[in-house]
Parts: sequence; structure tokens; C-alpha cells
Amino acid sequence: MSSVHSASNAFNMLHPTIQRWIWKQGWRTLRTIQEQAILPILSNDRDVLISASTAGGKTEAAFLPTLSDLLFNPTQGVAVLGIIPLKALINDQHRRLKSISELAGIPVYAWHGDISFSQKSKALKKDQSVLLITPESLEALFVKRHSELKKAFCNLRRIVVDELHAFIGSERGMQLQSLMNRVDLLTGQTIPRIGLSATLGDMAEAAKFLRFNGELSCEQIISTTKDRDLRMQTRGYAQKNTLASSSALSVTQEIQNHLFKTLRGNTNLVFANSRQRVELFADGLRRQSDEDRVPNEFYPHHGNLSKELREEVEERLKKSVYPTTVICTNTLELGIDIGSVKSVAQLSVPPSVASLCQRIGRSGRQDGEPAILRNYLIEQELHSRSSIPDRLRLQSFHSIATTELLIDGWIEPPSPRQLHLSTLVQQLLSIICQFGGISPQEAWYILHQTGPFHQIEIPHFKSLLMCLGQKEVIIQSSDGALHLGKRGEKLVDNYRFYAAFSTPEEITVVCEGKTLGMLDTAFPIVTNSYLIFAGRRWLIKDYDEKRKIVNVKPASGGELPKFESSYGAMVHSKVRKEVRRLYEDSTVPIYLDATAAEFFHQGKATYQELGLSQKLLWQDGSRTYLVIWESDQVCFTLELLFLQHNVTVSRYGPLLIFEHIDLSTLRKVIKKIINSPSPRPNELVANLENKNKEKYDNLLNDELLNMTCSIGLVDVINAFSYLKTVE
Amino acid sequence: MKVKKIRPKERDAIIKALRSGVVPNIGLQHIQVGRALEIKNLLQDIESVADGGSSFRVVIGEYGSGKTFFMNLVRSMALEKKLVTAHADMSPERKLHSTNGQAQSLYRELMKNIATRAKPEGGALLSIIEKFISSALQQSKIKGISPEETIAQGLQKLTEHVGGYDFAEVVGAYWEGYEKGDENLKANAVRWLRGEFTTKTDSKAALGVRRYIDDASMYDQLKLLSLFVRLAGYAGLYVCLDELVNLYNISNSISRKNNYEQLLRILNDCLQTNCEGLAFILGGTPDFLLDTRRGLYSYEALQSRLATNTFASSDYIDLSGPVINLSRLTPEDMLVLLERLRSVYAQGEDINQILPDKALPAFLSHCNNCIGDAYFRTPRNTIKAFLDMLAILEQNPNVTWEMLVQDIEISPDIPTCVESPIGTENELSSFRI
Repeated sequence: MSSVHSASNAFNMLHPTIQRWIWKQGWRTLRTIQEQAILPILSNDRDVLISASTAGGKTEAAFLPTLSDLLFNPTQGVAVLGIIPLKALINDQHRRLKSISELAGIPVYAWHGDISFSQKSKALKKDQSVLLITPESLEALFVKRHSELKKAFCNLRRIVVDELHAFIGSERGMQLQSLMNRVDLLTGQTIPRIGLSATLGDMAEAAKFLRFNGELSCEQIISTTKDRDLRMQTRGYAQKNTLASSSALSVTQEIQNHLFKTLRGNTNLVFANSRQRVELFADGLRRQSDEDRVPNEFYPHHGNLSKELREEVEERLKKSVYPTTVICTNTLELGIDIGSVKSVAQLSVPPSVASLCQRIGRSGRQDGEPAILRNYLIEQELHSRSSIPDRLRLQSFHSIATTELLIDGWIEPPSPRQLHLSTLVQQLLSIICQFGGISPQEAWYILHQTGPFHQIEIPHFKSLLMCLGQKEVIIQSSDGALHLGKRGEKLVDNYRFYAAFSTPEEITVVCEGKTLGMLDTAFPIVTNSYLIFAGRRWLIKDYDEKRKIVNVKPASGGELPKFESSYGAMVHSKVRKEVRRLYEDSTVPIYLDATAAEFFHQGKATYQELGLSQKLLWQDGSRTYLVIWESDQVCFTLELLFLQHNVTVSRYGPLLIFEHIDLSTLRKVIKKIINSPSPRPNELVANLENKNKEKYDNLLNDELLNMTCSIGLVDVINAFSYLKTVE
Repeated sequence: MKVKKIRPKERDAIIKALRSGVVPNIGLQHIQVGRALEIKNLLQDIESVADGGSSFRVVIGEYGSGKTFFMNLVRSMALEKKLVTAHADMSPERKLHSTNGQAQSLYRELMKNIATRAKPEGGALLSIIEKFISSALQQSKIKGISPEETIAQGLQKLTEHVGGYDFAEVVGAYWEGYEKGDENLKANAVRWLRGEFTTKTDSKAALGVRRYIDDASMYDQLKLLSLFVRLAGYAGLYVCLDELVNLYNISNSISRKNNYEQLLRILNDCLQTNCEGLAFILGGTPDFLLDTRRGLYSYEALQSRLATNTFASSDYIDLSGPVINLSRLTPEDMLVLLERLRSVYAQGEDINQILPDKALPAFLSHCNNCIGDAYFRTPRNTIKAFLDMLAILEQNPNVTWEMLVQDIEISPDIPTCVESPIGTENELSSFRI
């Protein structure tokens, strides 16, 4: 009874107009999160983090009390700032808030790139209004309409961030944090924030993200209702031995047939990990449509396609008049507006749990519709000379582990230690524009002392300013104020400046002028190290940063896995531990089809045969293997450490493969590494070729790049402790 | 120059303004030191403007070197010479050229601050119009023609200029309102002249003219106004624009260039004497002028026009060019300044009673120890500290100056743009790229 009582109490706290609106909707009760949110929001003295699944009523939970508060205490100018990551979501929220805003007499304005100028001018002038905006448009307001913004925001009461989880840990998240801080500085107040998040990952992390300095406490309201349905199947496909079966269909053909059969007639997304494969499948499916004399519904989408082609596809998806299936890389994972799709297909290994989660999130957004995921596993058919990675079915296990973790509701925590110097550069240029020149001290105050870049230290900041100065991005006038230089002006004048992130590109692997394929940019490249790619071992000769081309030459070595493991994102240690658990565990996940289950059994059999539950290091013929059940950072650090001790090594997923070294020699090397002093991360990555990862990394110098690179890429402490367990 | 006994009102205004770090509006002559040549030159300028000429000057000095002070002084001299003055500080919201109301906003600010000798504190537009009307009425009596005709004849001269027809119409409308006792019409005419109309429809409905003073027409409007004030019996219009560093600070290169182009147009007009009885004086920092990357010198046409006389050096001065470099105050100037301040403070009474002579050099050497020679490059903080000290001495008779001098804290004067507690990272304060 007490809960009903307290619930009605909370309801009674709302403004009568809002109550009337709720009655008019014919809702019998408010949802639990909606009730729980009323008191903390109305008290206006804390941040509130509301987390619930999609269509869980988060928007109402945040806006009913927020609008109520506005009706109780009318103000002038923009009263509520809603920061929403996607244009389509803004339009959606705008629609949802329309009826209540009309009743309450509180105007709600949508503000993004597609909104007309006259609408925008109105939005900043109306009193007591709600402004829904993307972080990029807010950045543009700071740069171009600073004084208007200051006037409009002088009585700002609250900031609401939608889809908070989509921001955490990314360049864009850093931008959002910086922007929120700049809004606080602009208004001279600490404005209460509301974060709306899906129930994902660590909520304490999300609360910390919402306000990193803890100036206001954060009340967390977490919905306990079940998430929407997820239907999934994992299908296995074995690549036949090419010599034996010339008549049989190739794996690609088989998968293509299945895609054609199941996806035609609906709107779907197919995620392939490389552009090459996107083209391959898109082309195959289009030809199949032609052969069957049906209209083509299959389109490719990746970063190399021209903007017009991409936009055409996006438009078609958004309109959703015709059924459309888009085969894409991670370009459609986040950031671009497309409507909801019926199902999502994942070809081979998903890059990470978080990424898979985002991809699934594209499907079944409407109420009651389940999300559908089809995961296609591709492996080589086993034969007598099959390589160990193939026999272990590493890729399949990795895929299944990722899915298992997703079902458990775990996702990779964002790596909070990332410096995001690229975003720092963007924010610095932005505040220079905002204030029309700024002294280094003031910039330091805004970005570091109050802002989110609190990990940067003064010498680094100075070094950053120096190198921006050398590249004519900024200049300094004689009174010490920083201004935009020639290059900086060019950067800022382009509308692309407002986005903190850039579309990821791929690295082309070239051997003597012949293109072999594509690598993800996240793949660390070190010259004179080995690369396993397209079923062979290659020696990396050099790297062309501008054209993103890596030149390789063939290196000796036996048979290796055919399908490249282009994971993209760094694999988290939890995923590797899950892979190991799957090898040890005997139950077959129910969503595997017959072939996938067969892969599962084969992998387990090899694992047992090699006795990997007891050992990590073993010799097989002329090769010695070291398996690393740890994060990619640890794997990469070990690779670099072995390189430092002149031991050639190539890596395939968690496996380090040593050619022509026997077990005892390797043990000696490991001992030597353990006994020598541990190197500094900055030194380790010094030889790395592709350090430019984020948008403005090309403006940094080597020292800063090494610093920012080493943070996400190497993990010396864990690498050493892992080596000790090998011993 | 012997300091005369000054009025308590002036004294309080001076002290209050200086202690809060701004330039006083009145009584400047009591505390002016040095720069005699510059002042003499500008006085000549003012005289030639009063004679129907024009002038264009850029006053360049470091931050806090007394540009604003100097310009205010010149402005008060112009008022004495029967000129109408209008002054405004540039800001991100007030520019010479813009497309979204910032130039109009500058015009409005100028009109708000428009001043005559009788109304030195600004807001004199109405009295200028009234004076025009009354002088027309007077003339009509003398010549024996109707007032309408006199006014029409007077305004005839304006209609030949860009936008002059509408200007004349509006002044005519004011006359009409004056005659018919239509206060509303009069108010609308003044509002139009102040640049407060923002749409054609409003302007048409209120006054029957289709144009209003917008971003593009604001400079033409100033030219018309200079003619108009002469018709009203004033000697000319003196426009003071300060803080031009705000143009330098414009981040968008196209917008910055447009502003410089407008400046070039003004400069050309004034130096070719295309305008009558109009003078511009602009204040800015050396960066604003000299920086070849984004200052005035970045604009080729302005650089050649504003370049210093190649013969001029520290030995040979040339103050007749458009650029006036405010030399920094010498230690001797500083000493004189402190003496002046002391006598203003003492209001002509026994000055030694407040502070003996020997305290002044002691104070200056303390400043020197504190912040080095920055104190005479930027006298603002030194003045403030000095006046603070005098205030303590006055109110606490048992305190002696020797006790205070060592404790006075003087911080170097640094411009800020963030309105929040400034970062105290000293390591960055002297940072250079």
C-alpha cells in the first residue's frame, strides 16, 4: 500500500496542467521510473540518471517533471536543453513532446542541420522553451552565434542528454562533456543534468560521465522491467578445400543465397567487416536479383563510396517506402540517421560486444517488435594439414563469446583513460572562436581545470599548443591571446569542423603494386614485423600515412587461416576469458545451427587435444605457440616486447606464433624479458606507423601521438604479469 | 601647468572611475600627463574638421597604455570646439560590417552616445534635431520665407547623397510632427534616426519611407549625419571607435576581411576629403595594426596606406600620418601623474598632509620591484593601487605611508574574456608558442 501512496504523492507533485495531460492520455498508472523521477527532478539540486530499455518511457520520465518545474517557475529564454545524438531521434522526440508542449504552452524546438534558418532564429528568441539539439549543432552555436547563445541560455534550467550510453568513451562523448561544461561556464551556474540511457554496462560509469567533477550528486533510477525480445541465430559455413570441391558452391555463394532468401522483402542491415566483402556481397545479391528478374533491394554502404551514393541509400532507408537491405561496414553502426530495420545480419566476427549491441539496436525499435540478429560464421573445412587457429575454430568461439556476453548484458566498459587529444584540439579551436581569441590560461581553465580534459598535464598542453602553432593552426598575438592561424581558419570554416569524430577509413595492404585487401585502421602496424593476412604471412615493409597504404612482402611459413581476423576494435580481456570458458564448458548454445555446433565441437576437441586448460605455451613442429587469454592490449604489448628482443613473431587473435624457435629457447627469451626492466609505454609504441586515429591526430607531434596511442594500445603491467604466469 | 582647484563633483567622478579601472568621463585635463605633441596634432585635426574638412586617425597603444584615456581627452576637446561627438566600443556584437545586425547595433550605440557640448554625457540626438529646427525657424524669420521652405532648402543638400532622400524625409516628418503637435510622429522620426527600425514595413507604416538604417547603410548614414549637424549649426561630427581589437579577434576570415574593407572605405573617404566635417578616431592594440597574419596589415591596401613614414624613427617624429603610436609613459611622466592624482585627491588642499613628496618615488620603485617596467606600460593597475593607498591613509589617520607601501599588491594587467575565476596556472601566463 505504501508504494501506491508514495506514487500518488509523486503524481500530486506535478503541475495540474501536466496531470491533466496524463489523464487525457488515458494512462492508468505512471511507470515506476516515471514516478521515481518526479521528486529528484523537481528538487532541482541533483543530476538524475534514468536508465530503461527502448520504449520504456524514459522521455516522459524526464520531461513530465521538467515541464512541470517550468510551469511552476516560469523563466525567460531557453529553459531546457535536450542534447540528442541523432537528427531522426530529435524529430522523434519533437513529435512526442508536441501534444504536451501545446497543452502546457511551452514551445519545443528541434535544431539540427535540416531545420530551416527562420525556424532556428525563432527558437533562440522564444521564452520558456525547450531546445532539442545535436552536439554538433550546439558546437556550431558556440562558434557562430556565441552572444545570441549567451542571451538565450541565461536562464537555462536543465540539460537532458538522450542516449547517454552512445556517447561514453568516444571522441564525441568527450565533446559532449566539454560542451556541457562550457554551457555551465557560459551561464555561470551549475545546471542540473538528466541522463537517459539504455540499461547497458556500468551505471556508475555513466553517472560519472554525466558529471565528471561530482559537483552535484547523481540519483540513479534504473528500470527493472525486462528488455525487449532478442531473437538470434548463429549459422556456420565451412569453406570447402578448393581442390576437392570445384563443383560445390562457395561459402560466399551459400551465405548470399541465404541472405537473398531471408532478407528480401524487408528492411535489413548486413554488417560485413571489410569494404571488400561489402562490395562482394552487394554485387552478388544485386546480380541474383537481376537473374530472378525482381527489383534490386540490396545496396552497399561504406566509407569509400561517394557521398551522393551513400546519402541516396540513407535516404531510401529513412523513407522506408521500399524494402531495402544495406550491406555496410561500421559506417551505419552509429551516427547516421536511418529508421528502424527488421533484422540485422552479422557476417563473421563482430568487432566488440558494444558494437554488436549498437548494431542490434538498429533493429526492432518499434514497440513490441523483437530485435533479430543472424550471425554468419565462416571457417575452413578441416583437413590433415589444417593450422592450429583453424582447428581451434578461434573465430567462431570469439563470435559466440561476444554473443554470450551480450546476452548476459555485459558490454566493454569505455576506456576512460583515453586522452582524446584530437577532441582537445577541436575544443580549443572552438573556444578560440567563441571568445574571439583566448589566453592559454583561460583555455586551460575551460578545458582542464573545469573541463573534461583533466588527464592532460601542463607540459603536454604546452607541447600541444606549440605544435599547433608550428602548423599554423593557431597563432599568438603579442598580448598572449591565442587566435586561429591560416590553417585553423580553414578548418573551422568548414561545417565538418563541428563533428568531433570522423568516418573511419581502412588501410590498404599492397604487395608489389597488387592490392591484397583491407585492414581496419585500429590494426597496429609496425615495420619489419609480421602480418597474417589472407592466409599468408607477410613482412611489413613500409607504411604510407597519407594514402593509408601498407606495403608488404611475402614471408616464409606454413599454412595459416584464410579468413583474416580483422577485429577492428581492441578485444577486451573479458571476451578472451569468455572464449576460454566456452572451451572449458560443455553446453552448446541453443542458437547455433548444425554447422555452427559442429565448429563448436571441433574447437573444443582441439582445445582438449592440445591440453590448453593446463598450458599456455607449446611447440608444434618448427613452430611454437603462445596463447594469450587477455586483452588485445596485452597481446600487442607482448608482440612488441618480443620484437624488442629480436624474436620474430606473428599474431593471430590471441595466438602468438613463433617460427623456427623451439620451446626451450622461447622460455629463455621470456625469462630475459621478465628480468629486464619494464619499458615505458611511450617508447614501446614509438615504432608504430599508423598513429593517427582520431580526426585531428594529424595535427599532433610524435611525442603527443605516442602518449595518446600508448594509452589505448599497450598494457605493460598486465603483459608482464601474464608472462609470469606462462613461466 | 598649475592644477586649478577642481570641483568636488569632478574629483569624485575621477577618483571613482580610476579606482574601478575605467577612464573618467569628465575632468580629464586634471590628470593628463605627457603626449603634448600628439594632442597638439589632434587639435589641428579638429580645427580642420570644424572648417569642413575630414580626418582619420588610428591610435595604437598596448593594452592599458591609455588609449581610451587619450581618445576621451580628444573627444572632450572636440566638444569644446563645437563638434558633435559619437563614441562606441567595438565588440563581437558591434562591427563595422555584418549581415546580421552587428553594424546596425554599432550605429545604435553611436547614436546612444552622441554628445554635444551642452550634453556631454550623450543622448543628444533629439537636441541636435531641435537645434536644426530652431535655427531654421530663425532663418525663416530673417529671410522672410516660410519655415517649410527653409527646412526643405536646408535638406536639399542632403538629398544628393546616398540615402539622403530618406534622411531628409524623416527630418521633414519630424518637422511635420513638430508643427502639428504629433508627438508620435516626432518620436518615430527620432527612433528612425537612432537606427531602431528593423523592418521595411514598420518604417513605411510609421514614416512613409521604405528604407531603414541597416547594416549596409550605417556608414552612409554617418556621413549624412555629419552634414546634418553642420546644417544644425555644429562644426562637424567626430566619431570615436575604441577596442578595434575586436575586429582582429573575428575568427571568420571572410567577416574580418569585410570589416577591414569597410575600414578602408572610411579611410579613403576621409583622406580624400570626400566627406564634410567628419572625423574618425580609432583605438587599437599594436597587434590589430601590425599583425600581418590577421591585423590591418594583413590587408594589402590598408597596409600601404597606414605604413609609418620610413623617415620617422625614435629621433624624428611624424605625427601627421593616420597612425599615432602612443608612446609609453616615462618614469618621469609616471611621477607627474602620481602628483596630479594626489592633488586631485587632496582637492587643492595641503597635499603634503596626505602624502609627502618622497613617498611618490618610493611607491614607484615598489611597483618596479613588483611587476618590473610593466607598470608604466600599463598604468591602470598602478593608478588603482595608488588611489587605494590614498583612501586608506585618509580614513585611517594612525597609518603612515611607510607601513603601506611594502604591502601593496600590484598584479600585471591582463585582458580577460572569460567571466569566471581565471585559471591560476602561472606556468601558462608567460607561455609563448
